Amino acid sequence: MALGAAGLMMATRETSTTAPVVGPQHRTYSPHGLHQAGIDTPAPAVTAIVAYHLSAGIQVEALARLMRVWSSDIDALMAGRGALGDPAKEISAPGMSLSVTVGFGPRVFTLPGLAAKRPEGFIDIPVMQHDKLLDRWSGGDLILMIAADDETTVAHAERVLTRDAATFASVRWRQAGFWRGVDGMGSPVTGRNLFGQVDGTANPTGDTLARAIWVDDTWMAGGTTMVLRRVEMNLDLWDTLTRERQEKVVGRTLAGGAPLTGTAEHDGLDLAAKGADGGLVIAENAHSRLAHPDTNNGRRMLRHGLNYVHDENGRHTSGLLFIAFVRSIASQFTPVLQRLDGSDALNEWTTTIGSSIWAMPGGFPQNGWLAQGLFDA
Amino acid sequence: MSIPRRTALLVGLGALAACSSKPSSSSDPAILIEDAWVRTTDGATDTTMTSAFMTLVNPGDANVSLTRASTSAAGMAQIHEMVKGADGKSVMQETKAGIVIPAGSHAHLTPGSYHIMLMMLKEKLPVGAEVTLELTFSNGTSKTVTAPVKVFTEEQDHYHSPSASASMSGSNG
Repeated sequence: MALGAAGLMMATRETSTTAPVVGPQHRTYSPHGLHQAGIDTPAPAVTAIVAYHLSAGIQVEALARLMRVWSSDIDALMAGRGALGDPAKEISAPGMSLSVTVGFGPRVFTLPGLAAKRPEGFIDIPVMQHDKLLDRWSGGDLILMIAADDETTVAHAERVLTRDAATFASVRWRQAGFWRGVDGMGSPVTGRNLFGQVDGTANPTGDTLARAIWVDDTWMAGGTTMVLRRVEMNLDLWDTLTRERQEKVVGRTLAGGAPLTGTAEHDGLDLAAKGADGGLVIAENAHSRLAHPDTNNGRRMLRHGLNYVHDENGRHTSGLLFIAFVRSIASQFTPVLQRLDGSDALNEWTTTIGSSIWAMPGGFPQNGWLAQGLFDA
Repeated sequence: MSIPRRTALLVGLGALAACSSKPSSSSDPAILIEDAWVRTTDGATDTTMTSAFMTLVNPGDANVSLTRASTSAAGMAQIHEMVKGADGKSVMQETKAGIVIPAGSHAHLTPGSYHIMLMMLKEKLPVGAEVTLELTFSNGTSKTVTAPVKVFTEEQDHYHSPSASASMSGSNG
């Protein structure tokens, strides 16, 4: 489409194996890597997660056309160029850390010919005892995760992509989240959820991360599968607890996120350590113990959290958009979730009100388009 | 309007090349076509016609015009310009003179301005399909471009005068 001088808009991709020299802000990501951006790239300040419902009668051929259109839009938007035919194209600008990540919901694999393309372990999560799932925050056929340093960039990209999808799909729900992954000087930090907890410390990195999340073969090479859970927090009740009780619930200090058995944030958990009273320092039902790979047969996942606030019918709520990437939902995610649902101390102040699962393809080549392999015979 | 960075670089290269070559049209650099797209017929009241848009870049040192357009997707293609009617309103009409792409500069075919009108469409153009257009220029060169089909937000046929619409709608009686 656009000619020449691709070098002028050269995108830089940060991978999890590259030590960041600068903070995570003001980046320009590319959709053409092995992996889509927005998965193992640092979370910028603003994210909109939009789920779409495929219009009745949409066939595989039409879905392929939508992928072409979205690929062209995503290529332009992420490079900071105007998307074709966008009347507000001047909003596009590079250096806003914009990533657009695309995924398919389970219903896509019921389209004629696509059943065999369903990824391994891509199975709906059973409803948990503590869940209070609402249809309006659950399910969906297509998902876009649109993230950037600022809301203007996100809102504009979302508008372009939703408009271009209009003849194929309509918006089912929109979940907006935010994350502060930098300190006041712009240096990267783990970030805190609205309970005040450092959230995301124990994420895998390097080869461990790669083995835990990336699919190596099939049309999804370079891709992964994603779980999105909308977790409402009871902050009013949480605020009444003593600090000591709050820290015991998770097994980490609030000050710096260090395990109660350690001193620094990234210290490993000593799950055997006992206190002066003879009891385990990290309690049996502490969230960090129940979620730990060592107590889950080595199961790991990449977690991203996004804080949210939501006002509706005079009710103000807060929570966490819990995002997990795994290679197989059935083997890596659901068993851990079942364990947490059964025993997690944190359940008393959290309620999951939305749930959805998604198959995320790999990145697309410069002259290709998203999930091209999904449509090959 | 300032020339976008990308085209500014191309213009620079063209000027460099032209410095040392003879001023003959056969050595003029070719016209470059960027960001081409075609409006979809999805949701249109009249699915027999649509418009194509693009940016034409002329890196050479002589003006060149787009004189003709054609495509196998349409029975007829015309180059349209925007003119002010007697009532002060802007309307679109065919320009037999084509579109001038000034030397070392560019011409924009955009909604509300120049465009290529595709009439007597042979097939519907759904979003995400592609249309191949052949463009012919006054310097004797021609170029093929494949343009994606996209959603169009402005009102359809908003700019066409009643008489122009009547002559275009031909077989649509």
